[in-house]
Formats: sequence, C-alpha cells, structure tokens
Amino acid sequence: MTCASARTMLSGYLDNELLASEAMAVSSHLETCAACRQDYDALRPIGTAMRHHLPMLTAPDLLRSRVGAALRTAHAGRPAGRRRRAFWLRQIAAGLVIAVASSAVTRAVLRRAPSDSGIAVRDVVARHVRSLMTNHLTDIVSTDEHSVKPWFDGRVPFAPDVARLEDVGFPLAGGRVDTVGHEPTAALVYRRRKHVINVFTWPAHPGARASDEILSDTEHGYHVLRWTRGDMQFAAVSDLATIELREFVDAFRRSRSTARIEAEQPKR
Amino acid sequence: MTSAPKTIGDFERVVLPFMNDAYTLARYLVRNEHDAQDIVQESFLRALRYYDRHPIANPRAWLLTIVRRTCYSWRAGQRATVETEAFDEMVHSAADPLADPAAQVIAASMRDRILAALDSLPAEFREVLILRELQELSYRDISQVIDAPIGTVMSRLSRARLRLQAALGGRDRAVG
Repeated sequence: MTCASARTMLSGYLDNELLASEAMAVSSHLETCAACRQDYDALRPIGTAMRHHLPMLTAPDLLRSRVGAALRTAHAGRPAGRRRRAFWLRQIAAGLVIAVASSAVTRAVLRRAPSDSGIAVRDVVARHVRSLMTNHLTDIVSTDEHSVKPWFDGRVPFAPDVARLEDVGFPLAGGRVDTVGHEPTAALVYRRRKHVINVFTWPAHPGARASDEILSDTEHGYHVLRWTRGDMQFAAVSDLATIELREFVDAFRRSRSTARIEAEQPKR
Repeated sequence: MTSAPKTIGDFERVVLPFMNDAYTLARYLVRNEHDAQDIVQESFLRALRYYDRHPIANPRAWLLTIVRRTCYSWRAGQRATVETEAFDEMVHSAADPLADPAAQVIAASMRDRILAALDSLPAEFREVLILRELQELSYRDISQVIDAPIGTVMSRLSRARLRLQAALGGRDRAVG
C-alpha cells in the first residue's frame, strides 16, 4: 500500500468504515511507515476535541413554533393557492377589459413612445436595479429548478419556465414575484460570476405580434434582451456584456418549452 | 403527486424531530443565528413539499441534505458575507461540564480556536467534519447528504481532519 492511498483511508480506518481487508492493509502500512503513523496519531484527537468543544445545538423554542406555524400555513395553503390564482385571473381579466376599452388611446401613445416598447424596457431595468438595491433579490432561494418552479404555483397565474443552466455557467440563484407594468411577473435570478441576471416572465398582450426575434436595448448601462414565445413575454436584464447575456438568452430559450397559462392547462 | 398525500401529522412525526440536527448543521455552516433560523424554516418548507413525492428511507440524512443545499443557495443569494458574526449563543447553549473557572477559560478559548480553524477550511472540508464529528453520521449518510461517493467522503474526511489539526497549530504538515 502506498502512502497516498493509506492516507485517504486513515479516516475510514479510524471510523471503522473500512472493509476488513482494507483495514488490515492500512494497519500493516502504519506499522512500517512513520510518516503515515504520525498523520494517523494527529487526526485521532480531532473528533474528540470537536465533540467536546462544539456541542450539538438545541433549536430555540421560537424557531420551533415559527417552523410549526409555517408548515401548517404551507399545508393549508395548497387549496388557498387555487383561490389566489382565481383572484389573479379575475384581476387580469379586468385589466384586459380596460386595455381593450382604452386600446385606441394606447395605440396613439405607443406610436409616440421613444422605442417600440420603451416603457417595458425602462420598467424591467427599474425592477432589476430595485432587486439589487433593496437586497430583495429572491423570495425563494434555490439553485434547484425543481423547487423554484413549484414555488410560483399560486403566486403568479402561469407556470414560468425555470431552466437549468448551471452546466453552461449560469447557476440559478432563486426567484421572486415582481411586477412589470402592474402585471404579476415571475422573476428568476441567475448568476454569472458576480453578475446578476433577472429574467422576467409575464403574459404577452393579447394580439401582440408573436416573434422569434430577440430585441436588444440598453438603459442606464443595463442590457435588456426581450422576446416572446407563445403567449408569454420574457425580458432578461443584466449588467453583463451583451454577448454574454445573449449567450444566456440562447441557452434559456433552448432549454425549455413554452410556459403555459395555467388557466388553459388545469393542473392535476 | 403520485401517491396519496400523507398528512402533515405524519410529516411532523417523521421529519420534525430532527430539528436540532437541522439547526446545528445550519448554525455551524452559516455561522449567523438569524440566517440559520431562516434556513431551517425554509428547509422544512421544502421538505414538506417533497415529502409526499418521495419515499424517504432515512429522514435525518434526507433533511440534512435539504438543509445543506439551502445553506449554500442561501449564501449564494446573500450579497453580504455573514460568516464573521460572533458565535455568542454557542457559549450559552453549550452544556459546560467543567466547574473549574480556569478550566472553563481554557475550554472557551479552545472552542474559539477550533471554530476559527474550522472557518479557515474550505466548505467541503468543514461540512464533512460537522456531519461526522458533531452529528456522527455514517459515511453512507454523509455520502447521501453531500451527494458524493463514499470513497470521496473518506478521503475528504482524512484531509479535513489533517487540515484542521494543522490549522490548530498541532502540526505543520497540511495535506491537501
């Protein structure tokens, strides 16, 4: 047995986690190798010292009651989630009525807007900056898309795409509920190095032209890439270089199919 | 949801008893009382969400897996580093078997030294030490919690112990 392999097994030997044959090999190596023997003697007291000086902790009573209450609320919140969703849908329906009624006015205003939807660009940049400033980047902190996606269930009236992009260098940090132009919006937070990327997802305006095109804007030094897919619209905002943000958006668009409005796809 | 949903009472009976384990791991990993409590709460909420979807063989290791992930994602989401905060509560929550005041002073300084030495280690070393030495998990359970093969657990634990020993000044030979 070499010193290198003996050394990786020292803990297993100490903790009785080796097979009998491995334990014997380590034991005979320790008899002949002073250096490894010295290592073994050095690591033996660590466990005792840690257990003696660093105790197992007892959760404070306040935490216990807090967690108990949170669990019961979450448990009871499942059907309540549906009620909330219905509420959001009514709100959106009401919004649509107003939107249709005022569409003539809207069209006139939009035509004079600085860019084709400069309002949305300004809004998502403002939400992005705000998310960084208020230290309220995420309501749910998770690198796991399978816990972020269901978190939105009942919080926004659609199921947003949550892509796993860690493998291409954009780890997920979490999500939160935000608003873009008064619409409930799912904001996903991804990171690259120290940079934050917010991806906003919200329903597209009915009748809006669906386009595969990615629109690129810059506002206050932040880059915004926007696109639509199906009946949802997306905006990715970051201070990353455009080319990297574009790389992110391409990966994001590749990864998942269109988000679905839950009203059309009843769950369960 | 594939199986019939279990009751919350079931969850409370099977998973909730491991709150001290969850709290201990979170507290030693993030070193901030406030964050540790938030992490424990978030971990239990996540656990509840997953609970009726998966058969759970070892609820303790399963919960600690969730706590560990939540700790790291919590930290990633946190812009300010919180690790430097003092560990005051530890003094009071530690059951101190020593009656002699002088011995207590030595013990307290030893505890601080071990904490400082632990903090100087990379997270992957720190976590295996906590899981093994404090929580006394088997290698198999540690392997589940940190999602690594048992061989990795073993070699990492060996290196972690030697590094900790070196950081404590006992020996100079750091193995890395």
